[in-house]
Amino acid sequence: MAVNNTEKTTYTIPVGPIHPALKEPIQLDLEIDGEQVVDVDIHLGQVHRSIEWLGMNRNNPVQSIYLAERICGICNVCHPFCLVLAVEQAADIVVPERAEYIRVIAAEMERIHSHILWAGVAAHEIGFDTVFYLTWRVREEIMDMIEYVFGNRITKAIYQFGGVRRDITEEQIPRLKQGLDYYKSIFEQLRRIFLEDETVKMRCRNVGILPYEDAMKLVTVGPTVRASGVPKDVRQDQAYSAYADLDIKAITPDVVTGTVVGDVYDRIIVRLLEVAQSIEIIEDCIKNMPEGPILTEPKMPRLLKLLTDAEGEGVGRVEAPRGEDIHYVRMEAGVSTLSTWKVRAPTYINLVAVPTILKGMQIADVPIAFASIDPCMSCTNRAIITDKATGKKSVVDYETMHRLSVQKTKELQR
Amino acid sequence: MEKLNPQGIVDSFKKALGGGFINGEVYEREVAVKKNRFRRIWIFVKREAFHEAVQHLCRIQEYPHLVIISSSDLGSDVELIYHFTIYYGNHLEEISVGIRITLDKKDLKIPTITDIIPGAIFTERETQEMMGVEVTDIPDGRRLFLEGDLPENIHPWRKDDKKLEKYLRVLPGRKPKGKE
Amino acid sequence: MNLKSFNRALWVYHINTGSCNGCDIEILAVLTPRYDAERFGIMLVGSPRHADVLLVTGPVGRSMADNVRRVYEQTPDPKVVMAVGNCGVEGDVFHEAYSLVGPIDQIIPVDVYVPGCPPRPEAIIEGVVKAWAKLETLARQEVS
Repeated sequence: MAVNNTEKTTYTIPVGPIHPALKEPIQLDLEIDGEQVVDVDIHLGQVHRSIEWLGMNRNNPVQSIYLAERICGICNVCHPFCLVLAVEQAADIVVPERAEYIRVIAAEMERIHSHILWAGVAAHEIGFDTVFYLTWRVREEIMDMIEYVFGNRITKAIYQFGGVRRDITEEQIPRLKQGLDYYKSIFEQLRRIFLEDETVKMRCRNVGILPYEDAMKLVTVGPTVRASGVPKDVRQDQAYSAYADLDIKAITPDVVTGTVVGDVYDRIIVRLLEVAQSIEIIEDCIKNMPEGPILTEPKMPRLLKLLTDAEGEGVGRVEAPRGEDIHYVRMEAGVSTLSTWKVRAPTYINLVAVPTILKGMQIADVPIAFASIDPCMSCTNRAIITDKATGKKSVVDYETMHRLSVQKTKELQR
Repeated sequence: MEKLNPQGIVDSFKKALGGGFINGEVYEREVAVKKNRFRRIWIFVKREAFHEAVQHLCRIQEYPHLVIISSSDLGSDVELIYHFTIYYGNHLEEISVGIRITLDKKDLKIPTITDIIPGAIFTERETQEMMGVEVTDIPDGRRLFLEGDLPENIHPWRKDDKKLEKYLRVLPGRKPKGKE
Repeated sequence: MNLKSFNRALWVYHINTGSCNGCDIEILAVLTPRYDAERFGIMLVGSPRHADVLLVTGPVGRSMADNVRRVYEQTPDPKVVMAVGNCGVEGDVFHEAYSLVGPIDQIIPVDVYVPGCPPRPEAIIEGVVKAWAKLETLARQEVS
């Protein structure tokens, strides 16, 4: 960029917080030079609902499970799973083996639904609205399966300290197998749409690159870091629950293409292959599920007394669809709430990598590059991106950015 | 450095830190049907030796994975735990390491680690605003979550913060907390 | 309910004031081919100035309250406001939080309440139909 006597300054564009594209409040201040993004600043705080404070001061631990479920509506199995693992370490509660397998089945069903949801949103950002409708139609099958076995589509409340609340009976298993067969038959079609289409390759190849070194230094997690070549996966490294019996390998994109670039296309590859991996895991679990009880302590007053008298601390780590999720819990004897509760959702730490991903992009590429880390703002909070430089601020809404993104696709298709 | 078992890691910290090292504990637990072991280490250090402890961890593992910084209010002290994990990338070999520092409430300062691990910036900002711990030499010390919600100098995670009471929202028809 | 005329396509604008996204993905699911509200002419638009119905979700945080009021004022009359989900209707599990200023009807006037955590897509469709009927009444009152 040449600098001569006249001052060449960049523009700052604030975007949001209420906008039609991302379903979450997010304010972006983009600093652009011409058409390219120069720098990004992140502000958070819009979806802050003081959940940790409520858990430490008002709720008893069982009520905190229902509060943890409402941290995020899309990944609403991983947060209670983490909390339950942490409190079981602190209070030294042993979980029956059948309950561990049911927990894993619930977590993997959530992963399938979340990745297909993301695929639809990514297609919408590129401009393929038909693909968006197709994938969300495909997603309805897994929602039906979840409702059939666990009772509700989204907030299910099956986790409890010491096991799960509902059992998967013999009569329900044929319906699960039918749903999994449907996904196996349609997987080839989805793979062709997302991985072999020319326009998708043109829009997503070499866009939003996160190099290997930066991914390690900025401590990213989840499919974002696996697409950059780092095989980090909590289910493989420090297996919890029934994953310790299964053999899970972290998926990196060189399985399909042979090289690792770390762009949006690689993240699509990782997420699609993880859907196939989840289908296999659910089938394994159904086949190997042991018999036995599902809850250590079914009576609620005794459970509450046990938790009030417990003393200790625990750390629960779970591989959510977006990355690694962790809850830290400390309990004191005689106190009816959790004494310390710290939640760190996966998008929290992935946002630190957003400036590196967006630097040098055109404005039309910002929606798809930002959506490729699968941001879940309600897990984190709001983010504002500001670019450097110029003192000038002009208001551009996200609708304009989305329209630019769709226009770019149309031009590439010509 | 070649791979060590948990007790070996505790001993290497003791040798590297000398007087700054207070204690080290190893915790193991069995999981599921095949009874694989879940392993965790707690290392208690003094504040003066904290930066050296993080650098020693970087010698054991090239880029240690910082998970989060958690802080607990224990009455007259505040305890910070830096949760790390090492040896990731291989099946069932990861070990969690937690470096714990206890600070007196009248002197809440801790050095930053963003020079070693740049990804720690968000979690240090959050600790600074929510608990009131001052992180010295932090590159960007603005508030993270509470920007539009609360004025400065209110720390929600402290158990003795009375200024928070007037911001609690009670819905119409319900009685406020403590006045049932 | 007796709807005499379907001569109006309903354009909907969606605001998220800090919810957990559960209600928001159920709202998007209403437009997808399974429940398919688009065949009635219900469409999500990108600007409040084109909207007839405002769908608001989430307990309102202190930093979002002003933005919600401004969007409400930007929407032209006649308009109908729907509060979707328990958080917006009465606070759900988040009452007594220090960063929230209360359910949605403390900020802007609400016409239709859809309870549920999250409400099923069928419940949201019924809410939109009730909003439609109210909108027709308001439009007829304006003309007369």
